[in-house]
Amino acid sequence: MNNILLLEDLPQIRAWIKALVLQVFPQAQISEAARVHDALALVSAVKFDLALVDLGLPDGSGVEVVAALRESQPDVQSVVVTIHDDDEHLFPALQAGAFGYVLKEQPREHFTEQLNRISQGEPPLSPSIARRVIAYFAAQARPQANAIPHVQLTERESEVLLRVAKGYTLPEIGVQLSLSRHTIADYVKQIYRKLNVSSRAEAALEAQRLGLFARSY
Amino acid sequence: MPFVHVFRLAGLHALLGAALTLGLCAGSAAAEDTPTEVVQILEALAVASGAPRFPSEATATLQALPDDWSLSRPGYEGTVWYRMNFDAPATDDAQAVLALYVERVCTNLDVHLNGRRIFSGGRMEEPVTRNCYHPQLVPLPEALLKARGNQLDLRVRGHALEHVASRERAAGLSTLRIGPLAELAGTWRANEFWNVTLTQLAGVAMLVLGMFMIGVAWFNRRASYLMYLGLLAIAWAVLTARVWLNELPVPNGTTELLIGLGLAPTVGLAVVFLLRYARLKLPMLDLLLLAQCVLLPASLVLAGPAHLYVATIVWYWVLGLEVLLAMAAYLRIAWSHQRSEFWAMGAILVLLALLLLLEGVLDYRSGTVWQGHVLRFVLPMLVLVVSFRLVQVFARALHAAEAGRTTLESRVQEAALEIERNFAQLAELRVEQVTEKERKRIAADLHDDLGAKLLTIVHTSESDRISTLAREALEEMRLSVRGLTGKPLRVADALGDWRAETVSRLGQAGIETDWSGPAEEVRQVMSARGYVQTTRILREAVSNIIKHSGASHCKVRCTVGEHEIGVVVQDNGRGIPLELDGRLDRGHGMSSMKHRAKQMQGQCLVESGPGYGTVIRLTLPL
Repeated sequence: MNNILLLEDLPQIRAWIKALVLQVFPQAQISEAARVHDALALVSAVKFDLALVDLGLPDGSGVEVVAALRESQPDVQSVVVTIHDDDEHLFPALQAGAFGYVLKEQPREHFTEQLNRISQGEPPLSPSIARRVIAYFAAQARPQANAIPHVQLTERESEVLLRVAKGYTLPEIGVQLSLSRHTIADYVKQIYRKLNVSSRAEAALEAQRLGLFARSY
Repeated sequence: MPFVHVFRLAGLHALLGAALTLGLCAGSAAAEDTPTEVVQILEALAVASGAPRFPSEATATLQALPDDWSLSRPGYEGTVWYRMNFDAPATDDAQAVLALYVERVCTNLDVHLNGRRIFSGGRMEEPVTRNCYHPQLVPLPEALLKARGNQLDLRVRGHALEHVASRERAAGLSTLRIGPLAELAGTWRANEFWNVTLTQLAGVAMLVLGMFMIGVAWFNRRASYLMYLGLLAIAWAVLTARVWLNELPVPNGTTELLIGLGLAPTVGLAVVFLLRYARLKLPMLDLLLLAQCVLLPASLVLAGPAHLYVATIVWYWVLGLEVLLAMAAYLRIAWSHQRSEFWAMGAILVLLALLLLLEGVLDYRSGTVWQGHVLRFVLPMLVLVVSFRLVQVFARALHAAEAGRTTLESRVQEAALEIERNFAQLAELRVEQVTEKERKRIAADLHDDLGAKLLTIVHTSESDRISTLAREALEEMRLSVRGLTGKPLRVADALGDWRAETVSRLGQAGIETDWSGPAEEVRQVMSARGYVQTTRILREAVSNIIKHSGASHCKVRCTVGEHEIGVVVQDNGRGIPLELDGRLDRGHGMSSMKHRAKQMQGQCLVESGPGYGTVIRLTLPL
C-alpha cells in the first residue's frame, strides 16, 4: 500500500485516521482531501492503492468518489469510513464499488484491526447489509428484470449471506460450513464484487432506457 | 191539423250521454213512458209582419214546421207571426200545469195565448236577444187555457242566413210541443244542458287547461308548443261564448263579424301548435298566419253583411284545409321521428278532421233545426284528450328529468366522495412525504453536527471514560435516528441484528456466548420504537456483563410468541451487589432498562445474587 487517498472533512478526525493508517501502513503516501471536488481531482491525477472515503461531505457524497475510482482505477480498494452504520447509507456506496466499511468512532485497536482485515481481503458484512444484498439480488432474478445481464450469486454465496443476515459472525459461518476463514472472506469479496457489477449493469441499462449514452473519452 | 207524434230523444244524445256517463237523460227518458200526453205541432199559419199582434187581416200561409226561413222566405230579415190552434192534451194528473216547448227558435220569440202575451224570450229589436242555442219552455197559464180551441200566436224575430256566419244562427222555428210542464221541463233541461251548459263547462275546462299549459310553457321554454295549445284552448273558450252569451249590446251584424274574426287566430294557433309539436319552425308561415288574422276580417267587412254567410263558409273551408294540411304535416313528421306519438295523435287528429268535415257538411245541409253542435263539445273533448296526452308526455319528461337529476346528483356525490377520498389519501401521502423528509433532515443534522462533535470527543479526549461515554452517546444517537425512520421491521431481522452485535461484543471481550433463537421461522413484525428500545436494553445488559460481571460465559435465550417477545440474558458472573436498603444497585443501569421496558408496556426482571450470576428476563409486547 503505497498511495492512499484519505477523504475526510473534519481535520481532527482526518489527523486521527491518518495516524492510524500510518500505523498500519508505515510506508504509505497519504493524499488528504476534505471535499469531493478535491478528491476527484486527486483521483484523476494519482494512482492509488487504497482509498478511505467519508460519505457525508460538505460538497457532496463520498459515493461519487467511490464510483469515480471504480471507473478509472478498478484495482483500488475503496473503504468507506463513516459514522453511518445503516444500510441506507452504506448500500449505495457498496453498489458503487466500495469494498467494505469502517466505523469512525471505534477504538483505535478495533479500527486498525478492521482496516488490516479489509486490506487483506476480509471485508466486514453486517446483517442489515446482507439483507439488502439478498433483497437486491432477489429483485434482479425477477422475470421483468431479465433485461439486465444476469449476475447471480452462487449457492454458497447465498448461504453465507443468509447466515450473516441471521446474525452469525463470519468465523461462526466458517465453522458451520466447514470452510476456512479465507474462503469465507473470498465469498464476501465475491458478493461485493457481484453487487457492484450488477449495479453498474443496471445503471447502464437504465441510462440506455432513458436515452442517455455514457461516453468515455 | 196538429197530430200526436211519438217523441224520441235524438240518438246522438243518447250515445254521447252514455259515453259520458252523465245521468242527465233521466228527464227525457221519463217522457218516453207517457208519450200520449204530449201534443206535437207540425204546422202553423205564418205571416211575415212586424205588427204587435197577429195580423188577422193579412193572408196567412200554412207553413210546415220546422220552418227554415232560408228556404221558406230567403233573404227575409225581420218578424214572422205563427198561429196554431190546439186542444189541451188530456192529462192523468188534473193538477198538472201545461207548457209549450220550443226546441229551437232563432233568434227570439214572443208567445201569445188566446190573445194575451204570456212570454218573451227577450229583446225583439236590435240588438235582438240571441236565443238560437237556447230551447224555450213556456208555461201556459191555466187561467187563459181552454179545454178546446186554444189559439197560440208566436212572434219570431230572425236574421237571414246571408247575415249570419253560421247556419246555426239563421232564422227558423222548430216543431212545437205542448204537454205537462214537468215532462217537457225534462226535455228542456236535457237540451239546454247539451246545447249550452256543456259548452260552458267545456269552455271553462279549456280556459283552465289553457292557462295551465301557458304556465307550464312559461317555465319550460323548450315546450313552447304547450303555449300555443294553451292559447288555442283559451281562444276556443272565448269563441264558445257565442253559444251562451245571448244579451249583447251590439247589433247582429257586429256580433257575427266578431265571431268570424275569432276563427283566424284560433286556426292559426292550431296550425302553429301542430308544427311546433312536430318541432317544425317556419317563420314565413307564422307571418302568413298573422296576415290571415287581418285578411279574414278585412274580407268579411268588404263582403258586407249581405254576403257574410258565404264569405264565412269560404273561409271555413280555407281554414279547415289549413288545419288538415298542418295535421298531415305533423303526422308525416311524427311517422318518421316520434312513432309512439303517431298512433295516438293520429287517431285524434283523424277524428278531428272527420268532425271538421261533418261540421262543414252539416252547415251546408239546410232544413234541420237541430244541428252542428256536435263539434261544439266533441272538439273540446278532443282538445282535452290532446292536452292530457301532452301533459302526460310532459310529466313523463319531467319525471325522466327528475330521475336524471337524481342520478346526476348521486354521481356528483360519488365523485365528491371520490375526490375527498383521493384528497385524504393525497394529504396522507403528503404528510408521509413531509414526515420522511423531516426525518431525513433531522437524521442528517444529528449525524453532521452531533455526530461530528461526539466523534471529535471520542478521538480527542484524554480520558477513556469520556471517550467511551461519547462513543456510547454516538451509538445511542444512531439508534435514535434509526427509530426516527418509523418503519416496522421483521422480528427475524431484529434477532439477526441483536445476535450479531451481542456475539461480536461479547466475543471481543473474551466472553463465550451461547445464543439460541426461536426454532421455527418468525413471521411477526415489530415497531421501529420497539426495536430501538429492545436494542438499548440488550446493549445495556451486554455492557453490564462486559464491565461489571466478570463472567466467562453468557447465555441468551430469545423466544417469540404470537404477541410478545421474550429475551433472557444469563451470565455466570459475580452478580449485582445489593444496596443498603436491599435493592439492586441502580448504578448498573438496571433502572433505565426497567424504565424502557415499562415504556413499551413490557417488563424487565433482574434476578441476581452474589456468586449466582445475573438473570435478566425481558418481556415486551409486539
